[in-house]
Amino acid sequence: MMSLFWIVIRQLEEIEAMAASKKVITRAEWEKKLNDVKIRKEDMNRLVMNFLVTEGYVDAAEKFQMESGTDPGIDLATITDRMAVKKAVQCGNVEDAIEKVNDLNPEILDTNPQLFFHLQQQRFIELIRNGKVEEALEFAQEELAPRGEENQSFLEELERTVALLAFEDVSNCPVGGLLDISQRLKTASEVNAAILTSQSREKDPKLPNLLKMLLWAQNQLDERAAYPRIKDLSTAMLEDPAI
Amino acid sequence: MPTANTIFPIHGPVDLLTRLDSPDPETKLKALREIKNQIIGNRTKKLSFLKLGAVPAVASILSSYATQSDSQLVDADVSTSSIIVQSAAVLGSFACGFDAGVRAVLDAGVFPHLIRLLSNLDEKVVDASARSLRMIYQSRLAPKYEFVQEKNMEFLISLINSECENVTGLGASIITHSCQTSTEQRALCDAGILKKLISLLEGSLSQKNATLESLAAVFKKNPEVISKFVGLENERAVESSLSQRDSSLESPGTVIKNNTESVFKFVGPESGSALSSIIELTKDRYARTRLLACMCLVVIRNASPNYLQDMGIKAKLVYLLLELLDDPGQVGDEASFVFSSLVAGKKDLQQLAFENNAINKFCNQLQKSQLHPKRLQGVLLALADLCSKLESCRLTFLSLKVLNQVIDALTHDCADVRTSACICLRSVTRSIKNLCAGYFMNEMLVIPIIRLLDDPSVSVQVAALGVISNIVVDFTTRKSTFIQCGGVKQLVQLTKSMHSTVRFNALWALKNMMFLADDRCKEGIFLELTGSLLASLISDPEPCVQEQALALVRNLVDGCIKSIEYVFAEDGTLLDAVGRQLHNVSDEVGIQGMYLLGNVASGNELHKEAVLQQLLAQADNGAQSFVIKFLQSSDSRLRTAAVWVIVNLTFPSCPGAFGRLVQLKNAGIISQIRNMVNDSCLDVKLRVRTVITQSMTFGDGLT
Repeated sequence: MMSLFWIVIRQLEEIEAMAASKKVITRAEWEKKLNDVKIRKEDMNRLVMNFLVTEGYVDAAEKFQMESGTDPGIDLATITDRMAVKKAVQCGNVEDAIEKVNDLNPEILDTNPQLFFHLQQQRFIELIRNGKVEEALEFAQEELAPRGEENQSFLEELERTVALLAFEDVSNCPVGGLLDISQRLKTASEVNAAILTSQSREKDPKLPNLLKMLLWAQNQLDERAAYPRIKDLSTAMLEDPAI
Repeated sequence: MPTANTIFPIHGPVDLLTRLDSPDPETKLKALREIKNQIIGNRTKKLSFLKLGAVPAVASILSSYATQSDSQLVDADVSTSSIIVQSAAVLGSFACGFDAGVRAVLDAGVFPHLIRLLSNLDEKVVDASARSLRMIYQSRLAPKYEFVQEKNMEFLISLINSECENVTGLGASIITHSCQTSTEQRALCDAGILKKLISLLEGSLSQKNATLESLAAVFKKNPEVISKFVGLENERAVESSLSQRDSSLESPGTVIKNNTESVFKFVGPESGSALSSIIELTKDRYARTRLLACMCLVVIRNASPNYLQDMGIKAKLVYLLLELLDDPGQVGDEASFVFSSLVAGKKDLQQLAFENNAINKFCNQLQKSQLHPKRLQGVLLALADLCSKLESCRLTFLSLKVLNQVIDALTHDCADVRTSACICLRSVTRSIKNLCAGYFMNEMLVIPIIRLLDDPSVSVQVAALGVISNIVVDFTTRKSTFIQCGGVKQLVQLTKSMHSTVRFNALWALKNMMFLADDRCKEGIFLELTGSLLASLISDPEPCVQEQALALVRNLVDGCIKSIEYVFAEDGTLLDAVGRQLHNVSDEVGIQGMYLLGNVASGNELHKEAVLQQLLAQADNGAQSFVIKFLQSSDSRLRTAAVWVIVNLTFPSCPGAFGRLVQLKNAGIISQIRNMVNDSCLDVKLRVRTVITQSMTFGDGLT
């Protein structure tokens, strides 16, 4: 009994000792350590290029390629095309977007029934938004219904969408959310991701992930040391450790 | 009237087809684009355009512009190229995942033009043609590409070496589609294709996927090619492992250089090899790539048991495939098929899968409503394979209460689903414990199964017969349920089928029904079958059918004396048919025939005499008696069966035994048996000694 008690006490002491010994790293020490870490310029450039390409900043990417000599790893014209598709959906020109995707790569919509269904759904939503109820009705029968027959898993979403026809005031009905801009953005980002996948590119740029990892690593380190950490990612300023 | 800003296609299909005929290239181009945009992703539209004859119309545009483009050589007109690109895209879309479309495209004779366009100077034309051809090659209807011919192999290699992603993809698709025989696999291997394919594994998403599929085709059931593949990359692995160590460890490097065996030990059989690059892809971001990598590994494992043997990789494959099953799309549908080929016939893997909750996972799928037919088929087949050998799997399956879902699948619209539901039930009904309890002999199961005997699809019929064969082996007296439901009539009908597999399976089921059946049951079946039908089945052209017919009669005459009378019905035509058939049969058929005669010979004096006459009857060509041939057979099971007949004929307490012994002796049969006293098979030896002991009771008069 006694020995167990002593063991507990000893462990407590050890934990206290650890807490007390939380290491303090001064700004000078920290900067010296950071200076020792070597980052290759080309790697930085590629990260930036990856960001520009994935986010679709074509002109910037082109300039950056010229000035830094970084290979974008992709035909920059395809970015313009991809951004045009995305923009068309965001503006509600779904048919235009579909034609553009098919010009870019006819396989995308032929092999991706879910995306095709979502684009057709968006077309229907746009018809409703523009008050073209009769056309919407016809479209639902001609285009949407066969998709539901071909693929049972679309049925639920299909029913929810077609329900828009049943309401006088569509913006204030239970499925009114479909008319939100967020629905357009959702569809646009799905098309964008499908195009990127067809080009074997990831749909998210690498930089945000690196920043997430930085925050995570700082949180881990916070438990063990006090050091100049970065609070504001936009300035990446080192802030003096609170002692 | 439609207004200009209407969202509907301004032109209906008929109108668009007229526009295709326009002499104005601009109108043509617009019409092509519009057709393309209407049909992509839209099966109903593809079908309606197809019915209107759009495919031959577009094909002829492509052909004529392709010829035009050839003659223009360098400076192809922009509109010529655009028209070719658009028409190739239209044809490709018709061929995409749509068999009727593929057939129409092939019938339109456009294939050679597309091939020729691969050497066009315009990159866009090449890309579009390659993409369309790739679509065609993804269908099983595509023509086989004979790459074993030298010229074709050169062409294939040029495709694989291309810079254009769609062209390399096409090359890989051609391999996947056309590489079927081991000669073709070897030819690809000898042409150095493997090395190139390995490098494509590091390419784009679509290249990776196409390559994995083609590798699976090249590996399938070909351990030689697989070992070359692994060897190939081991060289590279050694190089890299050597270069890493060069600086620090010079001497071990030189030792290893020319010694593959030590290399094997050094880097391990799989590390750094081509195998590891495939294994790596099982962790890919994309589900489809993971699935195809798994498929490739399963093909390798099934062909070359030497590779991928460690427990880790087996468990990983089981785990990955079960995980992929959760994918809601095609990948999830296909995952069960790959899973099936992983566990089929392999007890260890079935056990491993069982421990990983595989039965529960597949059964959960069954409980979902409105499964895609492909998925349902795959899940049922996976369950069939899991339950094929292990009772623990069957019991878990039955405990999960999904039997009703499987029974529902028996009436599914899709024939493949019905077949796989039967195959699943066949595995599950192997559970002796539940069979004994009569668990499967209820109308809910029996009625739909019997209905399937009328199914228009032969494979469904055969699969249903497989289930029936199991459930009629019923040790209780519930066979009557099956008879009451009209099962016997149906089975007898199927023994007259044109397809030998159907005859074979129907007889198998009837044979199992006959097994230990009571007199009434036997009589019912025999009346339905009739002696003459049985006699003709015994003389069926297919040995497997003969064997089942004989085995059925063997079970029929087993038991009481009354049963034996069946073979004497209709003036003994049945017994004559047996005797006649035995003059020229395989060992398997002979075994059943001899047991049949043995059973008859266990009857009364008349029965024994009749069997004796069959044994002594000469073959038409005057060849040696079949019983001597069987006694000399190398198959101990056949020797045993043959000696049994003699044992029963010479049983000493029967009045005619001595006379029969004399006749057997005169025919040289007894001396043949005497030569067998030291037979290598204990069973044979024992029966031979019985015959000799029995003959001795008649004293020396015989010797």
